Amino acid sequence: MPLINFAAREINYKIVYYGCGLCGKTTNIQYIHKKVNPDARGKLVSIATEEERTLYFDFLPLSLGTVKGMKTRFHLYTVPGQSYYNASRRLVLQGVDAMVFVADSQITRLDENVESYLNLWDNLLDQGDDLTKLGFVIQLNKRDLSDIFSADDMRDLLNHTGSPVIEACALSGIGVFETLKTVCKQVIAKTGQG
Amino acid sequence: MPRRRGLVISNRQMRLVDDILDKLRQVSGSRFIALVSTSGQPITTSAVEGHPDTLTLASLAAGSFAATQQLAEVLNEREFTLLFHEGRESNLHVAQVTDQVLLVITFGRETQVGKVRLYTNRAIEVLKPVFDLTDEDDQASVMIDDDYSLLADEAIDDLFADME
Repeated sequence: MPLINFAAREINYKIVYYGCGLCGKTTNIQYIHKKVNPDARGKLVSIATEEERTLYFDFLPLSLGTVKGMKTRFHLYTVPGQSYYNASRRLVLQGVDAMVFVADSQITRLDENVESYLNLWDNLLDQGDDLTKLGFVIQLNKRDLSDIFSADDMRDLLNHTGSPVIEACALSGIGVFETLKTVCKQVIAKTGQG
Repeated sequence: MPRRRGLVISNRQMRLVDDILDKLRQVSGSRFIALVSTSGQPITTSAVEGHPDTLTLASLAAGSFAATQQLAEVLNEREFTLLFHEGRESNLHVAQVTDQVLLVITFGRETQVGKVRLYTNRAIEVLKPVFDLTDEDDQASVMIDDDYSLLADEAIDDLFADME
């Protein structure tokens, strides 16, 4: 459930982009920041290493405007992908309303994808989330590269929840907004279900 | 373990909170106070004049505070309940109010750390019960209804139109 502030008439939803290292989570957020109406977005905050690997998280607030008298915002976060940053990932997942799992389609990244996918569900279960209340979208990224798995194979491998799956190339923006739109609509629908 | 419930702030709670924060700011001599959620979202602020980018501040303060809790775990400490950063001109103090709410305070040389800590601890004792009030849930179900979902859905289409 999001943070609902009746006095300020605000609703904030938290959406977390999850996935293995270098799968394209930050690229998604950077593309959104570059393309979305500047009036609708806040500052992009990135805590990264010198090699531009996400150390802690990226953060981008997006404003949907006023809906039925309530200012509605989506707070987009990424997690650090490398396996040794699990403590940071758990921190970012606190209070999450929906996740985008960004999968790297390259055949060589199979193990990392599976490890990250299992790690996501482990962390959610550990923090006691009711998984049926959370939005979830899978993005198959890097579809423009060669030596990639078929989309059907990746669905079989990673989509045990029957969630929406979107093919993407985050670097050129293909599928980035389709993913974001889908997950935003999901969190709204989930909140409406109470 | 059931999922932690969402945080819903009612008008009554906000009036009480704003009153407490304003008083805390005055008696402690601090410049800016924000109440934020542990998930990194701002709830309300009290400031002398102007204030920092509250959205960014909330996400970073919550992240830093969460990291100190992990540090506590590594050190086999039950919990660290406050975080303090000392600067040249200003200082930042972050303290836990409830398991879902943090208090973020900035102050300069015009006051003392001890004074800020003393009044902050007192304010937290007054703030805690405010978040036990539960009269807002019905209001949430009335406001966040099918109508809201429908309108939000349309707003999402508008915001991301022509972005593909």
